[in-house]
Amino acid sequence: MRRLYTLVFELPGSVWDERFSDAEWFLIRSRSFAQRRPRAGHWAGSCRGLPPHHRVTLTKLSSGKAWRAACSAARRESDRKVHDPVRRRYTDRVSPARRFLVYVRPYAPRYAAGILCLAAATCLSLAIPWQVKLAVDALRAGTGTQVVAVYAAAILALAFLHGVARLGSRFTMLGAGQWVEHDIRRDLYAHLETLPPAFYQTHRTGDLMSRATNDVSALRALAGFGGVMLVGTTFTFAGTLIAMSAIDPWLTLWALAPSPALVLLARRFNHHVETESTAVQEQLGALSARVQENLTGMTVVRAYTMEEREIEAFGRLNAEYLMRSLRLARTQAAFSPMLGLISGLGGLIVLWVGGRAVVEGRITLGAFVAFGGYLAHLAWPTIALGWTLSNLKRGLASMTRIAEILDVPGASDGEATATGSAPIRGGLEFRHLTFAYEGRRPALEDVSFTVPEGRMVAVVGPTGSGKSTLGSLVTRLHEPPPGAVFVGGIDVRALSRERLRSSIGYVPQEAFLFSRSIRDNVALGDETAPEARLHRAAETAGLAPEIEGFPEGWSTVVGERGLTLSGGQRQRAALARSLVPAPAVLVLDDVFASVDAGKEAEILSSLQGAVAGRTTLVMTHRLRVAQEADRIVVLDEGRVVEEGAHAELLEAGGLYARLWRIQQIEQELANE
Amino acid sequence: MSDHDDEILGKAYDPRLMRRVWSFARPHRRVIFLSMALFPLVAALELLQPWLTKIAIDRYILPGDWVGLTWVAAAYLACLLGLYGLRVAVSYLTQLAGQRVMHDLRAALFAHLQRQDAAFMDRNPVGRLMTRLLNDVEAISELFASGAAAVVGDVLTLAGIVVLMLVLNWELALVTFALVPLLAVGAAYFRLKARDSYRGVRIRLARLNAFLQESLQGMSIIQLFARERREAELFGGLNGELRRAQFRSTRFDSFLYAGVEALGSMTAALLLWYGGGQVLTGALTFGGLVAFLEYVGRFFLPIRDLGAKYTVMQAATVSAERVFALLDAEASVRPPAGGARDFETGAPAVEFRHVWFAYGGEEWVLRDCSFEVAPGERVALVGPTGEGKSTVVRLMTRSYDVTRGQVLVGGRDVREWDLTALRRAVGMVPQEVFLFTGTVEENLRVVGGGAGASREAIDRALQTARADRVVASLPHGLAHEIHERGQNLSQGQRQLLAIARALIYNPAVLALDEATSSVDPESEALIRAGLEELVQGRTSVAIAHRLSTIQTCDRILVLHRGRVREAGRHAELLAAGGFYARLYELQFGAGRT
Repeated sequence: MRRLYTLVFELPGSVWDERFSDAEWFLIRSRSFAQRRPRAGHWAGSCRGLPPHHRVTLTKLSSGKAWRAACSAARRESDRKVHDPVRRRYTDRVSPARRFLVYVRPYAPRYAAGILCLAAATCLSLAIPWQVKLAVDALRAGTGTQVVAVYAAAILALAFLHGVARLGSRFTMLGAGQWVEHDIRRDLYAHLETLPPAFYQTHRTGDLMSRATNDVSALRALAGFGGVMLVGTTFTFAGTLIAMSAIDPWLTLWALAPSPALVLLARRFNHHVETESTAVQEQLGALSARVQENLTGMTVVRAYTMEEREIEAFGRLNAEYLMRSLRLARTQAAFSPMLGLISGLGGLIVLWVGGRAVVEGRITLGAFVAFGGYLAHLAWPTIALGWTLSNLKRGLASMTRIAEILDVPGASDGEATATGSAPIRGGLEFRHLTFAYEGRRPALEDVSFTVPEGRMVAVVGPTGSGKSTLGSLVTRLHEPPPGAVFVGGIDVRALSRERLRSSIGYVPQEAFLFSRSIRDNVALGDETAPEARLHRAAETAGLAPEIEGFPEGWSTVVGERGLTLSGGQRQRAALARSLVPAPAVLVLDDVFASVDAGKEAEILSSLQGAVAGRTTLVMTHRLRVAQEADRIVVLDEGRVVEEGAHAELLEAGGLYARLWRIQQIEQELANE
Repeated sequence: MSDHDDEILGKAYDPRLMRRVWSFARPHRRVIFLSMALFPLVAALELLQPWLTKIAIDRYILPGDWVGLTWVAAAYLACLLGLYGLRVAVSYLTQLAGQRVMHDLRAALFAHLQRQDAAFMDRNPVGRLMTRLLNDVEAISELFASGAAAVVGDVLTLAGIVVLMLVLNWELALVTFALVPLLAVGAAYFRLKARDSYRGVRIRLARLNAFLQESLQGMSIIQLFARERREAELFGGLNGELRRAQFRSTRFDSFLYAGVEALGSMTAALLLWYGGGQVLTGALTFGGLVAFLEYVGRFFLPIRDLGAKYTVMQAATVSAERVFALLDAEASVRPPAGGARDFETGAPAVEFRHVWFAYGGEEWVLRDCSFEVAPGERVALVGPTGEGKSTVVRLMTRSYDVTRGQVLVGGRDVREWDLTALRRAVGMVPQEVFLFTGTVEENLRVVGGGAGASREAIDRALQTARADRVVASLPHGLAHEIHERGQNLSQGQRQLLAIARALIYNPAVLALDEATSSVDPESEALIRAGLEELVQGRTSVAIAHRLSTIQTCDRILVLHRGRVREAGRHAELLAAGGFYARLYELQFGAGRT
């Protein structure tokens, strides 16, 4: 078939073409696309399964079949490639094995040494039955005990050396495996640190933890023990076969006769065990899901007296789990002793055929004994073969899962053009800022206002009005559009994140503290800060008196393993933390959200000290805080609806005035 | 679970605990005894093989009798096949016993959890209970699968080998045993070291994981304070420590394995040297020497692995302790035997008499709270958040017991009621609609009125609750599968189904905690209509979040600071201009419309 027409596939960063025939061309002309866009003599469309900006362009046209072929080719290509949404480019996907080898390579010398040790260990361990052979033959020949003593001494020496070599191989290779694990974990952590909040919103901590722990240790198993097994079993197989053949090739063949059966059996068994243990795991999953649901919904269970029904339902799942476990147990019970049986058969053949060879004088009694010894050598590697293979499979799967994370592009500073590294001073400005979280309607729409240098502006509004988004855009936790957010007159996108963030003191809504000492928490932004500065920050945040009341003062550990702080204390600690680097700009995101009214006044008074002379943006729904601000911006559903000083807004009688009234009543009720 | 749990090292054998484990194993004792009975047979057949080799060499190979050798080979084959069969049986029987005991333990634990009260659930996080029910139970079963049973087998084999060796040649046997103390001491030493170092690994791993988890949760703080480099250093420190700890444990482990292997070879050397002399003097046959060599090979592995089994036993004991502690937890809410099942005629449907209640300590949620609800009366509970409204509802169904005072339902103290009957009489509709995985119908057919409800009754309830359209809109109608927590339904749909469920349950008194989450106006109208039908002609106590509920109810109770502060009809209370009037303005009036 003549190929006349060319389809050009365009991916940003990669272009290729494929040719199609006249007939195909004709067919495709009659085909209508959903997205048909003639452009400079090309037809373009997107097909299912491709990323949206990933287009297939057809020079001239093509048939339905050709179109499908083109699409599947494009999909294949995009499977091979990894899209980097930041650089908008495709890069080649690297196979997990190659990725893994990148981590193994630095330890090549260790592995080489380990392999040498294994080779030595194999030779030494094979020499031992040979000495036994010689000794038995010598005894048979009736030579004196001295000769036998020499062989015994040789065995002693060989055993010792063999132990040393075995230790050497384990130390080098298992040690290298541990280094590989260490390195992968290090890189994974470093990479996780570069990922933006959007990533953490879409990935559950539990899943990330499982990759960083289970998958990483699966790789250690592969790089360490898996390597030892792989190399060790290969050597043992080869060495033992050579030694056995040296004694008697025919007998070797006889002894190995049951082995093919063993290999076949092992394969079938592995298959069965895999499906059956998957079934067990699935049932365990169903069982635990049921238990979890029951325990979380206990209120409903009790309310509707569903206990008996729940016990019954659990009983059914439990019984099914028992059944599936027993099915697996049956398979295992039938198979595991099979290995012993088959290697026993080898022994039997040696006894019978080998015994005859001794009778006929073809081999010596010593050779007969040694042969049995060698056969025993083979048993363990054969059993471990299946384990080694599944270890390999599991390790590569784990590497893929880890690579999925490593391939998520980290937040880049992009076009950070502003030079210098000094902290930025000056005011804040929002200029026609419109921002939407991915796949949602805009959280902020056309928001414009300024915070003049050294002043305090409060942003108020009901929950979900977009207050917090402002803070995350100023600090570039989420990326604002260019030309919309300015700090000290510079677009935040032109600043490197590090410089931007070290210039801004940010107190998030939820005061997250690490389970470390108070000192470490407060000095988070600047570990080198002198003690006096920490004390001043704590003083300003109103935390100082409490710290003195703690059992171990500044060294008191907070959080899970230590002192549990109240919501207000946490907030003040977070405030002190943001003050330590002495930022010129402060952004406070609803810091009173989880604080009761009594504590509010306390924090408020400490805040007054903190904001003095600083450019401050306060997002809050507590209007008493807003009252203190130089200016108040009222947000509703992402738009600025009112702006002005407290008194002006009250007079205007709009949303602010209504919110103020609500809080007045709340106050009154609370004081009753 | 914290790493503290890992640091606990208990006894490997605790007679009290073992008796309790045995109480679960007892029903399966036949299986257990049978597998125990097979162990000596397995050991005997295993030891028979080297003996057959000895006979083959001495009687047939050396004299050159090939026919005789064939007979021995046949015996050897029979021995192999028998051994295979026995091993299959033993392996299956031990698994069978272990799995059955696990099954029973899980069932007992689950049933026990169903009997616990709300306070118990407050104390025990779901994750911990799940660990007990799944992981700890699994660990106990290891006692059967690889712990106790295997130890019995190993000890039998060892004893058999010792006896046979002594019979074969006691002098040579003693020479062989010369190295055993060395092995035992060495194995114990390295095993101990390995275990300690392994514990070190686990502790460091737990530390690393805790750090990692915290980092993941506080990643934006790390980034905001530009701490990436410093945190990576701290993580690097923990990572390095873990690696070093791992290497330490590798060292001991490797020494143990290499050492045992070397000792085995050394014993063989000793045998050859001493046994060789005996062969020359005729005190030992060649076959005897070969058999000795084989026995030695089988002698050392069980000794090496005894330590590992000890660790398994230890872990199982710790797990057993935890599981039984859970089974011993008694619910503080305990219904009396033969409790009341009916209302007293003429008594108020619900009555609170000077009720004081605190979830713990002295933080009173209810202080001297008293009120009555007449049969058929519809009461709305109103008050600022955190003032004990939900607590009132919980006390009515005896989810908790009052600290002081009395709660009466139908004229009887709830503590005199049969618990199931009480909860049949007082139906609670919690705020958060919780649907279970399963079909819509299974969710509607809750126990009580629902289990045996006819299809018509269900359809009627669905209609009354305005939920019929919800069901009709689902692809499979009543047979539609609901996903975990009803995630494949909208909030409004879930609420309508919950109303239908309550209708089918058909309690005499309804305790309703209205949902606060907002739904679209259309669903809201449906829900409102459904709720009105639900409370029609029924005694109801509702925590009101809807304007319609407080406007149409017979009486409003305003809860404040743990007691009833105002009571009356909506209009009266508004007119009085007291606490309620302001609360009303706050919650329904001044808010955004």
